[in-house]
Amino acid sequence: METRLADGQPPGTSGPRGTVIEFKAVNKWFGCLHVLCDIGLAVQAGEVVVVCGPSGSGKSTLIRCVNGLEPIQSGELHVLGECISRAGADMPLLRSRVGMVFQSFNLFPHMTVLENIMLGPIKVKKASRGEAESAARGLLERVQIPDKASAYPANLSGGQQQRVAIARALAMQPGIMLFDEPTSALDPEMINEVLDVMTDLARDGMTMMVVTHEMGFAKRVADRVVFMDGGQVIEEAPPGAFFAAAQSDRAREFLSKILTH
Amino acid sequence: MSYEFRWSVLWSGQSGAWLLQGLLTTLAISALAWVLAAALGILSGALRTVPWRPLRAAAAFYVEFFRNVPLLVWMFFWYFGVPPLLPAAFRGWLFDHGAEFWAGMFALGVYHGARMSEVIRSGIQSIPRTQFEAAYAMGLTTAQVYRLVIVPIALRLIVPPATNESLNLLKNSSVALTISVAELTFQTRQIETYTAKAIEALTAGTVIYLALCLLIAGVMGRVERRFAIPGLIVRGGA
Amino acid sequence: MKRLLTAALALALAGWAAPAPAAESTLAKIARTGTLTIGTRRGSPPFGYVNQKNEWVGFSIDLVEQAIKPAVERKLGKPVKVEKKESTPATRIPLLTSNAVDLIAGTMTDTRPRRESVDFSLTFFVTGAQFLVKKGSPIRGIGDIAGKRVAAQQGSTNARIIRARVPGAQLREFPDQPSAFQALAQGQVDAYTNDGIQLAGLVAKAPRPGDWAIVGDFYSYEPYGMALRKNDSDFRHLVNVGLMEAIESGKYLQLYEKWFGPKGEVPYPLTPENKRFLTMQVVPK
Ligand SMILES: Nc1ncnc2c1ncn2[C@@H]1O[C@H](COP(=O)(O)OP(=O)(O)OP(=O)(O)O)[C@@H](O)[C@H]1O
Ligand SMILES: [Mg+2]
Repeated sequence: METRLADGQPPGTSGPRGTVIEFKAVNKWFGCLHVLCDIGLAVQAGEVVVVCGPSGSGKSTLIRCVNGLEPIQSGELHVLGECISRAGADMPLLRSRVGMVFQSFNLFPHMTVLENIMLGPIKVKKASRGEAESAARGLLERVQIPDKASAYPANLSGGQQQRVAIARALAMQPGIMLFDEPTSALDPEMINEVLDVMTDLARDGMTMMVVTHEMGFAKRVADRVVFMDGGQVIEEAPPGAFFAAAQSDRAREFLSKILTH
Repeated sequence: MSYEFRWSVLWSGQSGAWLLQGLLTTLAISALAWVLAAALGILSGALRTVPWRPLRAAAAFYVEFFRNVPLLVWMFFWYFGVPPLLPAAFRGWLFDHGAEFWAGMFALGVYHGARMSEVIRSGIQSIPRTQFEAAYAMGLTTAQVYRLVIVPIALRLIVPPATNESLNLLKNSSVALTISVAELTFQTRQIETYTAKAIEALTAGTVIYLALCLLIAGVMGRVERRFAIPGLIVRGGA
Repeated sequence: MKRLLTAALALALAGWAAPAPAAESTLAKIARTGTLTIGTRRGSPPFGYVNQKNEWVGFSIDLVEQAIKPAVERKLGKPVKVEKKESTPATRIPLLTSNAVDLIAGTMTDTRPRRESVDFSLTFFVTGAQFLVKKGSPIRGIGDIAGKRVAAQQGSTNARIIRARVPGAQLREFPDQPSAFQALAQGQVDAYTNDGIQLAGLVAKAPRPGDWAIVGDFYSYEPYGMALRKNDSDFRHLVNVGLMEAIESGKYLQLYEKWFGPKGEVPYPLTPENKRFLTMQVVPK
């Protein structure tokens, strides 16, 4: 992982340790709806940050800004040493270095599992087919479905699809992985197989920003929990502190709602 | 006073050769025009959905301009309106080498490209936005997102309406007879001129068009099954 | 063209469905409806065309209204009105056989193969095919057209003759006169062949008649007749009586003068031979 991160860094920035994502007074509006208000947030290399908060609080929007799926209207956003909020930032390059996993899997339905995983390495990183294929098979081992290489997404269970989606993102050897509610669309019995893969990934030192309602995962794996409400970061704390004694009323109210469920 | 049928006019004399010639011309002009229409349709249909307004506007202009003017007018436009813009030497050469065929081909292709464009656009717009995002999120450029992911999915979704458009194109190729392209309908009229047997000649043309249409529908049906997205298209029977 | 296919199917069905013995004679149909429906041209001056005042007029139309209609009215003993529908060389036979019109009064040449499908009246006009070219063209007649691009009308006898006599000519067949003429004007073709009188009509209506020349001897004989449904000799006789009476009474000459005289739409003097031929068609009373 260390070496991957290092070659994910542009020349001239300091080593793998250090800040890889930094929001500086970021604001974003959808029309007149102020979805991100003055966000200041930094994520260190190797850190696992869980973002939680009530529906509509701006969690998805926050992490979608990190790979430029949503543009911001003011403030600065630095990712892997690049200021991505400036005009003319190379978005395809940035995105090739930041993996993203969606709630709805979003595998390409007309391609086999293997083709889904190989697409990015071949088309974006210009890897040879051979390299891409052996890497893809390795990743399928890692997410524990090596036998599904030639299946089509529609023939996989939700949990398997989400693991392929993770493998697909990892195939780009990203410096950062973003997860937007990766288990929310899954049946309960499949949630753990995905969380296990994510846990392994975190153990290997991947920098991760995870939007999730899986508080067990947050307690076990997160280095830090970020609580959002109304487009603001209300609270950030290590999971122990956050779950034991949240500072704000809103966080406590939120926790009481989801934990009693 | 009643009409006397004489079906033998269809296989006596030169009728057979004429029908064959007409059929070949119809196939050639339709096939070339189809390729052009597909290319223009995919390009403009995709451009209508890109996140850049001037390109969207240009594609929308193409579609509205070309599909809302009758095909007959486009035939005249390409045959009578375009040649004066060409260099004189080339123009002379073109007039000796099937100017009417090429004009008819462009008229058909560009007109049906505009109609095909709408089919493609509706296919693209039926793809969830998150599919685009997943493709962008890998670092693909907009062109790659469309070429590698969106258009291939859209094309698989639109086979039935695209078949419909293809059949329309084939049938509309007969409008080219107005600019003297000797295609199938032209040749059936020719047979009628020589034999004065209108109903036999028109029936022959009708049967050939029908056979061609069924053939195309059959081929497109196979294409649809062959390239169906697993799990996405629920098919009855087959 | 879907329309054409539909029409073809409709025609085919009509052909099969119409029980022959029950079919009503043309005269009975005219008596019942009070209407004589003719098919004529819209763009072939001066036989049938739409003039600058947007009226649908012409020599063939006048013959129907002033020679044939009176004969029909006399026979039926009641007034009849004439209704005009457009017919082109490609549509006229189907229009007639499907009963959509009762008489083709345009520019139709009487030929033997056509007589297998329809009947013809007396010849009411005689002309022959020639070529229309731009003034100064090297084409002077049918001997000069090998290798040249020649426009003709789809479905016309001229195209057929050229194909047989000059296989080397590049024939381009257009469905109507204006597009063939346009092709000539723009250089898509080197010459346009049609019946001499039609070319004369076209030149007379052209913006600059002086730019065009009608060249060559008649390379075909084109006797124009009015076409009727086959095997309806009562109606055919009536049409012929109308035409004969007009030739006899001078009505025909008066109309000829109106359209083809020195002050007519298309000056085209009646040759003595043609005048003899017309009068000799009139059989004794
Ligand atoms: N493309 C968009 N256009 C307009 N408004 C949007 C758009 N995307 C999100 N919003 C709005 O912005 C706000 C924040 O949305 P966001 O998806 O970031 O919330 P979230 O915290 O992820 O919620 P959830 O837990 O329901 O996923 C919501 O009010 C949402 O309706
Ligand atoms: Mg969300």
